[in-house]
Amino acid sequence: MGGKKVGSTKSKIINVIIYIFLVLMALLYLLPLVWVVLTSVKDDKVLFISPFAMPEKLMFENYSFAWTAGYLGRATLNSAIVCIVTLALSMLVGSMAAFAIGRMRWKFSGIAMTYFLTGMMIPVHCVLIPLFTKFAKVGLSNNLWGLILPYLTFSLPVTIFIMTGFFQGLPNELFESACIDGCSIYKAFTHIALPLSRTGLFVTGLMTFVANWNELLLAMVFISDDTKKTLPVSLSKFVGPYNTNYSQMFAAIVIAIVPTIIVYCMFSNQIVDGLTAGAVKG
Amino acid sequence: MNKMLRDKKAIALFMAPALILFTLVLFIPICQSVYYSFCEYDALTPPRFVGLKNYTKLIKDETMRIALKNSVFFMVFSIVSQLLFGLLLAGLLTNIKRGRNLFKNIYYLPCVLSSAALGLLWMFIFSPKLGINQILAMAGIEGPLWLMDTKGAIILPMWVIAFVALWQYVGQSMMLYMAQISGVSTSLYEASYIDGCTRAKTFRYITLPLLRPMMATAMSLNAIGSLKFFDLVFNMTEGGPNHKTEVLATHLYTQGFKFFKYGYASAIGVVLLILCLIVTFLINKFVKVDNYEM
Repeated sequence: MGGKKVGSTKSKIINVIIYIFLVLMALLYLLPLVWVVLTSVKDDKVLFISPFAMPEKLMFENYSFAWTAGYLGRATLNSAIVCIVTLALSMLVGSMAAFAIGRMRWKFSGIAMTYFLTGMMIPVHCVLIPLFTKFAKVGLSNNLWGLILPYLTFSLPVTIFIMTGFFQGLPNELFESACIDGCSIYKAFTHIALPLSRTGLFVTGLMTFVANWNELLLAMVFISDDTKKTLPVSLSKFVGPYNTNYSQMFAAIVIAIVPTIIVYCMFSNQIVDGLTAGAVKG
Repeated sequence: MNKMLRDKKAIALFMAPALILFTLVLFIPICQSVYYSFCEYDALTPPRFVGLKNYTKLIKDETMRIALKNSVFFMVFSIVSQLLFGLLLAGLLTNIKRGRNLFKNIYYLPCVLSSAALGLLWMFIFSPKLGINQILAMAGIEGPLWLMDTKGAIILPMWVIAFVALWQYVGQSMMLYMAQISGVSTSLYEASYIDGCTRAKTFRYITLPLLRPMMATAMSLNAIGSLKFFDLVFNMTEGGPNHKTEVLATHLYTQGFKFFKYGYASAIGVVLLILCLIVTFLINKFVKVDNYEM
C-alpha cells in the first residue's frame, strides 16, 4: 500500500513538471507574437526608453502607414489573387491527372506517376534562372501569371500523389453501376470521384495555399514592380535597413501574419490535422 | 466499364495539362539549368559552353565554402534537434490528459506563418538594442551582438538562426510523431503495462521502434527543408556580416540576381540538387524500415 502511494505522488510531481515545461514552451511561442503586437501600436520614440511598458496611447497610424506606403494592402490583395487562382487550378489539373493515373487503365500510368514524383525532390532554386530568363522573354516577368505557373507546377506532385491515393480507394462498384447507367468517364470524374474525395481536395488545397502564401524567393526574383509584389516580398522590402521607424515595421509584420493567425484560430484542428496528413502521405 | 476506363482520348485529356506544365516549367528548366552550369552566361551575353570552369571556380570560392558549411550545419542541427524535441513534445503531449489540443495547436502555429515575417520578428528580438538585449540590460548585462558576432567555428548568428528554424518547424515533426503514436494499438500498451513497464520504458521499447518509419519521413523533410533554407537567413542577416552566414540558397540568389552570373549560380543550384538527392537516398536507405504490423 505504502509503495503505491509513493508511486502516485511521484507521478503527480512528474505531471506537474510536464505541465510547467509545456506552459514555458507555449510562452516561448506566444510571447514574441504578443511583443510584436504591443510594440506595433507604440510611439516609436518611447520604444528604446521604456521597452516593456504598456503603450500609453495607441498609434494606429503605424498601421495605415505600413498599409499604404509599404504597399502592404496592395500586396495582400496580390497574394490572395495568386494563391486562390493557384489553388483552384492545382486542384483541377492535379485531380484530373490523378484520376487518369489512379482510376483509368493504361500502360504508362506507373511511369507518369514516377515522372511527377521526381518533382517532389527538386528544389525550386534549381529552376529559378532558366525560368527567369524564359519568362522575361515571353512577358511573364512582373506579371502575376509568372508566379501562378511555377507555384501551380510545384504544387502538382504532392496534389497528384495524394489525390491518386484517394481515387484508388474508391470502391469499384460505384463506377461499374455508373457505367451501366450510361454515365460517361467525364461525368464519373466530376460527379462521382471528385465529390467523394473532398477530404483529399481539402488537404492538398490547404498545403498548396499555405506554401504559396508564404513563398518568398520566387516572388522576389520574378516581381520587381511594387504594385505587383506579394505579401512576403513587400514586407521584406518595407522592413529593411533603410527604414528607421521601428513601430511601423512592427505594424507591417503584424499585418503580414494576423490574417493567417485568425484563420488558424478558427480552424486550427482541421488545419493541423490536414497538413499533417498531407506531410505523412507526401 | 473496361472500355470506358481505357478511353485513350479521355486519358490524354486528363493528363495533358499536368504533363505540359510539368515538362515546360520543371523538367526542361532543370535540364537547361544543368546545361547553364557548364556555361559562361550572364545578363548581357548568351550562354557559351566552357566545360567545368564554373565548378572549378566553385571549389576555390571562399563564400561557397562557407555557404556549404553553413548549409550542412543547418541540416545536421535541424535533423538532430527536430528529432529530439519533436519526439520529446510528442511523447509528453500524448501522455497528458488535459490541454493536449491547445498545446499542440500553439506549437504548430509558426509552421503556417510566413518565415519571412517570423525571420524579421526574430531579427528584432535579437537586434543589438531591442528585445533580448533590453531584458539583459535591465539585469545589468550587456548582451552579445547576436546576429553580427563572427567568432568561433560555427558563429553565433548561425546558432541563432538554427534556433529560430527549430522554433518554427518543430511543431511539424511533433505532429508527424503524434500521428504515428496515435496509430499504435492500445492493446500493445496495455500488454506492456501488465508486464510491468514504466511509462518511460514503454516509450523506449514500444513507441520508439514503431516510430521508425515516421522518423525517416520527418528526417528527410527536415533535411531537404534545411538545405533549401532561404527566407530566415535572408531576412535575419542577408548572409552578412561579410558573407559569414551565407547558405547555398542565399549564395545562389546573390550570384544569380545581384551579380547576374547565371552560369555560376546554376552550378550552385546543381550542387544543391545533388545534395538533396544524396540526402534523401541515404535517409531512405538507412533509417527507413518496412512498416511494422500494428
